[in-house]
Amino acid sequence: MIRATLRTITGRRGSFRVGALVVLASVVVVIGVLVVVHELRPGRNPSIGGQPMLDGVGGAVWALGTVVAILLGALAGSYDVAQGTIRYLVLTGVGRLRLYAARTVAVVVAVLLLLVPALALGLAAVVVLPSAAGDEVTAGEVADVVWTSVVFPLVFALIAMGIGTVLRSNGPAIAISLLFLFAGAPLLALIEAANETAGDLMLIQALDRITGGETSIPVAAAALAVVGWIGLFWAAGLARLLRDEY
Amino acid sequence: MSDEPIIRLEGVTKRFGSKVAVDGVTIDVPRGRCLGWLGPNGSGKTTLIRCMLGLARTSSGTIEVRGQPMPSGSRLALERVGGIVEEPRFYPYLSGRGNLEVWAGFLGGDSRGRIDAALERVGLAANADRKVKAYSMGMRQRLGVARSLLNDPELLILDEPSNGLDPSGMAAFRQMIRSFVELDGRTVFISSHLLDEVEKIADDIAIVHEGRLVLHGSVEELVAEGRQGLRLRVDDGDRAAAVAGGLPFVTGVDRRGAGELGIAVTTLDDDSAIALTRALVEAGVGVAEVTRERESLEERFLEITGGATADEVKA
Repeated sequence: MIRATLRTITGRRGSFRVGALVVLASVVVVIGVLVVVHELRPGRNPSIGGQPMLDGVGGAVWALGTVVAILLGALAGSYDVAQGTIRYLVLTGVGRLRLYAARTVAVVVAVLLLLVPALALGLAAVVVLPSAAGDEVTAGEVADVVWTSVVFPLVFALIAMGIGTVLRSNGPAIAISLLFLFAGAPLLALIEAANETAGDLMLIQALDRITGGETSIPVAAAALAVVGWIGLFWAAGLARLLRDEY
Repeated sequence: MSDEPIIRLEGVTKRFGSKVAVDGVTIDVPRGRCLGWLGPNGSGKTTLIRCMLGLARTSSGTIEVRGQPMPSGSRLALERVGGIVEEPRFYPYLSGRGNLEVWAGFLGGDSRGRIDAALERVGLAANADRKVKAYSMGMRQRLGVARSLLNDPELLILDEPSNGLDPSGMAAFRQMIRSFVELDGRTVFISSHLLDEVEKIADDIAIVHEGRLVLHGSVEELVAEGRQGLRLRVDDGDRAAAVAGGLPFVTGVDRRGAGELGIAVTTLDDDSAIALTRALVEAGVGVAEVTRERESLEERFLEITGGATADEVKA
């Protein structure tokens, strides 16, 4: 069932295959830019690989991966209702909770599949391309970048899936999910101004904390906050799926 | 085969706010037959099907499918039920076969092994690897039936399945549906607003109007129960009416115009036609024409539904 759900997600060329290519292309662009600036001013930019490449790849996969994952997650949540296929999924006799659980696992796997080619290429470039002394990277630094590049897209994809399931319409699901990502920063500033701890429990701050950032709350509390945010949207989606008539 | 009805509805009502879409429907659907669920658009056909399949909740009443209460027994009930509701929907970016593989993934069991046979049965084997977005409406309908066959259903519920089919496609479709009943022994519940279509496919017909079940029986029974009589063209209508009205087997006389009458009789057979003609001739009435009249199912349907849906029932 999970494989079947995954196929419905990865089969969508627009959100999955093009998305994976966009993330991969962002890494190619980073590599290209570093090669060019190195060739232009080798004294000032002595390394292509190593630390500069790790920073560039991490930033590109984190940013574009998150946006593409939101697109993927929102569509995974809304598509079956928008397309009318949900009726036939329910007709299989599989319980709605199981359908939703399979969708959740499939979204996680799809996001990982989306990121793997770009991360693999980027990390290969970090290691293979030349780097000057002092620009070497440690395994811990690589692991941090991979963790950050994976956790942000995963969390936002799951939240977008919940939003998509609630909204049941592809366009609004994508729009609201992206708004949730981009409106987070200004909203966060307001909340932090009122109460620092409350601000640190907001999703972006909590994610920042569990990916190595410094905030006023412990990592465990931040992790709980992230799980809580995911759970909130996931449960809203589940409630909608259980309640709706098709 | 069990004698238990495959579908049992008891006082099923579905309301949307103050609007009653399905109004106290009670019916048993026997196994191994094709029931035509006939009614004009907006008469609650699809709503009832959605309730039967656990897609929507009833406001009151009980539903059993394959002996299981719905919707609480959906998992067991739907194990061997296939259906098309309103229109078949698929993942357009996957092929026909790819879509069936996805559904087989949800159905489990032997459903994956039935994909080729199902595609063959509906005549889509040659187009199985084309993407569904390139399918015509008729091909999608057939793919919908193929999907319905994946769990080897005892019961097929098909809601307006001939939408989008051309006349030759409809004929082939009817043949396919009949084969499900006659060859496979499946039960088919087919809803339609097209009387002609249902009359050709179904063994039994139920007519619904404004959410209520207003007529139910076998096609033969319903046809036989309709008004029957003789139409006369004579040279003296008044005299003919008086003579006919005095005959014991005549139940009504309808004056339709100068020299034309409709005579309702208890039994429409040769004996009544001969006796009537003889009585008229003996009374000195000149008889120009005697023809038999039987109220068609379409006329009964129009009578029951108020005749407002003539366009819908003329297939």
